[in-house]
Amino acid sequence: MMPFDSDPKGTRETRGALLDAVRGVKWPSLRSAAAALPGAHHSRLRGAAPELSEYRVYRQGDDPKRIDWRLLARSDRAYIRLAEDRSVVPTLIVVDGTASMAFPPRTLAKWETACDLAIGLAAVAHTSRDPVGIVIVTGSGMRQLPPKTRRGIVGEIARALDAATPSGTAAISAALAAVRRRTRIAIVSDFLGDADDVRRRAGEVAAAGGEVHAVHVVSDEELDPPSRSVLAVDPEDPTIARPLVADARAAYLERFGEWRSQLAAAWRGEGLSYTLATVSEPTSRIVRRVASTALGAGRGAAMHARSEAR
Amino acid sequence: MSVAAPLFAWIAAAVAAATVALHLLAWRRPPESPLPTARFAPERPIRMVSRAVRPADLALLALRVLIVLLVGVALAGPSFDARREGLGRVVIVDRSGSAGTGAEVAGAARAAYREGDALVVFDSAARQVASPNADSLGGAAAAGSRGSLSAALIAALRAATRLERERDSVEIVVVSPFASTELDAATSAIRATWRGRLRLARVTLTPNDTLSLGRPIVRGGEGDAVAVSLALSEPYSGGASVRVVRDAPTAADSAWARGGGAVVVWPGAPTAGWSSRSVPDTAFAVTAPAHVGATNENDGRPATVVARFERTVVPPAGRVIARWADGEPAATEVPLGTGCLRAVSVTTPAAGDLPLTPAFRHFARRMAGPCTAADRQPLASDSALAAALPSAAPPRDPLTVAAFAADVPRTKLTAWLLALALLLGFAEMWVRRGGSDATA
Repeated sequence: MMPFDSDPKGTRETRGALLDAVRGVKWPSLRSAAAALPGAHHSRLRGAAPELSEYRVYRQGDDPKRIDWRLLARSDRAYIRLAEDRSVVPTLIVVDGTASMAFPPRTLAKWETACDLAIGLAAVAHTSRDPVGIVIVTGSGMRQLPPKTRRGIVGEIARALDAATPSGTAAISAALAAVRRRTRIAIVSDFLGDADDVRRRAGEVAAAGGEVHAVHVVSDEELDPPSRSVLAVDPEDPTIARPLVADARAAYLERFGEWRSQLAAAWRGEGLSYTLATVSEPTSRIVRRVASTALGAGRGAAMHARSEAR
Repeated sequence: MSVAAPLFAWIAAAVAAATVALHLLAWRRPPESPLPTARFAPERPIRMVSRAVRPADLALLALRVLIVLLVGVALAGPSFDARREGLGRVVIVDRSGSAGTGAEVAGAARAAYREGDALVVFDSAARQVASPNADSLGGAAAAGSRGSLSAALIAALRAATRLERERDSVEIVVVSPFASTELDAATSAIRATWRGRLRLARVTLTPNDTLSLGRPIVRGGEGDAVAVSLALSEPYSGGASVRVVRDAPTAADSAWARGGGAVVVWPGAPTAGWSSRSVPDTAFAVTAPAHVGATNENDGRPATVVARFERTVVPPAGRVIARWADGEPAATEVPLGTGCLRAVSVTTPAAGDLPLTPAFRHFARRMAGPCTAADRQPLASDSALAAALPSAAPPRDPLTVAAFAADVPRTKLTAWLLALALLLGFAEMWVRRGGSDATA
């Protein structure tokens, strides 16, 4: 048995249980959606939806068809009816499939957790009738399923993830290069590769109206490595081989903790969502945390959109 | 086989054991294990100390242990020379004047001496008796001079060093009455250089009561003053072995002295062979100090005569036994054979009753006393003897240790062992360079 081979998630919830657990979870968009298709998210458009939102004094340039004639007859003032539209948000889940995710080597708990998270987030988004797609970045290439709303897309995503094998080294930022504007992106990764490039590209996506969620997957063995002396080798860069002995363990824990703090601060500093996901935590709970983070920020965004509309 | 310095062999064994222990603590590469966050571990040398279940690099370990043991055995000075078992002795026999007739000393030496032991005799000088045997001790008659234990110890140390190569242990036995004059400032320092045991066999001299009572024979003219004076004395022990010569001594007198008698040359007139005083003068007193260790009352108190004496001659050189009032020698004595020759320059007045006075009679008897008992030396106290010549070797200073370490006899076997160790050292270097990086 390898030193880091352990199975802390021996009670990992099955995918069926995961999908049951996340049923009903809402994942509202952080920003107002700009799509025309009706959906579950607040839309930036104000139209003639049957649900009245508010009245506004008619201004030149407004569509006369939206004038509430009855109100005009009663008050002799011209008002137009405003109604909130709801639309869909294309969601793209980017899964890191590099060699660093294949850890611990025997259980691949990080990769399994990343896959479950991707499926859970896809299921939550698909429940809101959002188009869902996935990009799996591995050392052997990039597997992509464009966002779709059709039934069975979650299953396709699950099969694509099952078919993938984490290996090699790849740039996650490349997966973000061709992302359409105003797309919600969830990046499930350990961010041990091109973390800076990914964050910079995510900032560009957010600036273009998109929405980016960083889900940082960390294994328990990385958080608390065994006390026995080993030569720790980076699976993506074998030249990085450091003895992890008793007196070096404290320094490792300090450096790793400091790096995680800096990573979270950097993502949040750019207005991006960051969630730390440990493999020992139930995946459904992580999904809820990712969705609730968006919910808190989404309410503010919706209010901001409404104030802009006024 | 024997070793001269087994301490080196023990040290080598300890170093070899330490070498084996160090091989158990080997630098090893820890087992590799993938860890994506390995970059956060501090950069350190990849090798680390770990305990090995089995000694690493058995060939190197064997070579190193062998080298250490070879060097240790070589320094220990192994020897395959035939060696007699048991304790060897170096018997030091006192032949000085303090030993008396030497009979008691010889008897004690015979008790200490065994066949194969070394024998050193000493008086003022010391020498080792070549091919000693029990008969050598029989002729150890006292020479009459003052003894020197320092000289005896130096000779004994040489003999002991030679004897050490043949015996497992060597002991020095000193047979002597141990007169205080035999000890000097160097005695204890010389003793300190001997690592082995030193045993003191103190001889108690018995009074010489074998001498018959009698009066000395006086060869002089009719009515000689000295003869008259001695005739008035009671017969005393050893008196018969004294011959007082009032004229010039003859060859027969010398033979008498060599045979153990005392010849007292007490001329009534200037005699050939005696130095005349440049200016004759007068002395008004002469005295003979009391004998230390005297066995009778007469010898135990000084003999002083206060009278007018004409001084015309000077007695020959020798041990002064009587002095004039101004300190000049009035009588001397020199050993001759086993006896002595005594010269008295005290002239008796031709008229008067001085020879009849008790003081002069006492002085005359003192001058006509036997030789042997007169040379007794004061004995050293037991405490002084224990301080100067302790039985166990005192702690040695590092310089002395180094000196003795340098004395470890080197044999050809030592050279061969060192050469073999050097050769194995080169082999160790060759094996080490060809070994893996997990070498200790």
